[in-house]
Amino acid sequence: MIDIEPLHFAWTSGGPDTLALGPLHLDAGQTVFLHGPSGCGKSTLLGLLAGVLSPRTGRVSLLGQDWAALGAGQRDAFRADHVGVIFQQFNLLPYLSVLDNVTLPCRFSALRRRRSSQGPFAGPEQSAQSWLQRMGLSAELWGRRADALSVGQQQRVAAARALIGQPELILADEPTSALDAALRHDFMDLLLQATRDAGSTLVCVSHDATQAERFDLQWSLPELQKLGMAA
Amino acid sequence: MNSLLGMARSSAWNRRSTLVWVVVSLALATALLWTLERLRSDIRSSFSQSVSGVDLIVGARSSSVQLMLFSVFHIGNQPQTLSMDSVRAVAQHRSVAWVVPLSLGDSHRGFPVLGTTTAYFQHFAYGDKQALVLQQGSPFAGTLDGLFETVIGSEVARKLGYGIGQSITLAHGMHDHDHDHSGELSEAQDEHSDKPFKVVGILAPTGTPVDRTVHVSLQALEALHLDWTGGTPLPGGQIPADQARKFNLEPEEVTAALVGLKSRAAVFNVQRFVNLYEAEALMGVLPGVALGELWSVLGIGESALLAVSALVALVSVVSLMAVVLAGLNERRRELAVLRAVGAAPRHVLTLLTLEGLWVTTAGIGLGVVLAQAGMWLATPWLQSALGIRLQLEMPLPTQWALLGAVWLAGLLASLGPAWRAYRLSLADGLSPRL
Repeated sequence: MIDIEPLHFAWTSGGPDTLALGPLHLDAGQTVFLHGPSGCGKSTLLGLLAGVLSPRTGRVSLLGQDWAALGAGQRDAFRADHVGVIFQQFNLLPYLSVLDNVTLPCRFSALRRRRSSQGPFAGPEQSAQSWLQRMGLSAELWGRRADALSVGQQQRVAAARALIGQPELILADEPTSALDAALRHDFMDLLLQATRDAGSTLVCVSHDATQAERFDLQWSLPELQKLGMAA
Repeated sequence: MNSLLGMARSSAWNRRSTLVWVVVSLALATALLWTLERLRSDIRSSFSQSVSGVDLIVGARSSSVQLMLFSVFHIGNQPQTLSMDSVRAVAQHRSVAWVVPLSLGDSHRGFPVLGTTTAYFQHFAYGDKQALVLQQGSPFAGTLDGLFETVIGSEVARKLGYGIGQSITLAHGMHDHDHDHSGELSEAQDEHSDKPFKVVGILAPTGTPVDRTVHVSLQALEALHLDWTGGTPLPGGQIPADQARKFNLEPEEVTAALVGLKSRAAVFNVQRFVNLYEAEALMGVLPGVALGELWSVLGIGESALLAVSALVALVSVVSLMAVVLAGLNERRRELAVLRAVGAAPRHVLTLLTLEGLWVTTAGIGLGVVLAQAGMWLATPWLQSALGIRLQLEMPLPTQWALLGAVWLAGLLASLGPAWRAYRLSLADGLSPRL
């Protein structure tokens, strides 16, 4: 599913490496808890996995496809098809309705549009409604402007959006850090369960160590870095 | 693309509180350009339509534009008169088919009074050589019995509610009395009240200054001024209307004369004859040439107005660019969200461009509506004050071209911020560095 061959990454060409990793592998459907202190390169790693950033040396592959082998336009299309993203906050376009925010990926990816129209669903809207329901958002919220929702609700909309069309990889960058402690657990519950049901792989960056045990794998980035330096 | 169009609209609508002023300024610029072009064209066609079949306008030597404006459009004035002897001399030229003398200077409730002969109704033409048609009644008789008869233009009849048989009085001078204000007649309007006229004919609408004109015979004007000298009534001794007929009412001088030729080919010959006429300093003006001179004078003003309107449009699109650019930094998060849901930088470029185009299109649409409504409201005034008829139903190709130019400028102005967003979106990827 994800294959990382030993890689080095630097923000500027010729600059110091900010990230060095040994070989890593993830299977389809696995969930990973990625942790480490601020500034250690967690977001950089997500960028590499999403094909937004390119390593100086080494290789990152998703579904057997080397990101570096694709041109910029192809990377964008490949990402739209196979990767869902959840940010810490401000995930939604304020001027669209909740439902339109969830169906956004289907506007840019024909594959996800097709997938979200399969099975019981007549189209992306029905699929989006189903995901929103899964995330515990009731129907009266669907037509509202996205910025009319609470932060907790917005994060759940973001999760529904990342999952629509069942992309193979979900990347979550501290999705619970803007939530109250009481809500974090519930959100993680929903996200993990929904990801497993979709058969997607989840890589979740978080500071909240209390959540770690619920993931299949726990990656500490500083430790991975040590291995990478050694390799 | 389709979904981006909808998104762009929602995004622009979301920013309406700041973008509304850009829309308003674009609307003003569009309205200015749209109106200006319409007026420019319709003023020209109104003027060109106003005189047809007249080969030469003869008057005392002055400015040719001034002579034409006064004699045909009753705009401005013509201080010098020409003698009837000269008019007769021109009429006797072998190439001349007809001569219609014109005498101006009086008015009726703001409408100019034209003294002329019955030949006027035979020879004067407008548009594409269309003759004057009487809607009701007949021309004034031109005889002593029918001395105080008048034929009025359609606008005069409509505005003042006159019918055949109506009795009216003329006033001395071309005071622009506001005939829209009902109420007491001012003294000036009563100056010739001792000699009332009877409306015997009403002309069909022509869309030219004829509609706004009160036509009387030259002899009637003479009769009115028998007891006048130098523009004021003679002290003592008023001459009653009945007795006026006993005086010699043949005019000695008139304001101008319209000349028709047997063959157009002779026009320069006759013009030379007029210009070299020895007994009096005369001038022969070809209406088309005088109009051309008028356009070249007006053209300077038109160009200046057009340039100012273009500048307003330019300022509008620059403000569009500035407003969108200024908002861009706050939108870096939004751009990252777009990238995260699968939008490529080129989608971001398209989205931002479309957003600018929505704003431009809204501005242009509003501008056209404003301009059309404004001109529609001004139509009655333009018609009655200047005799200009606006053709609002069929926009001109040049009007569309101006719209296209504004739209294109909006497109270019939108590409600036869109390109910047494209660069930001490429650089930021999924995580904007704020």
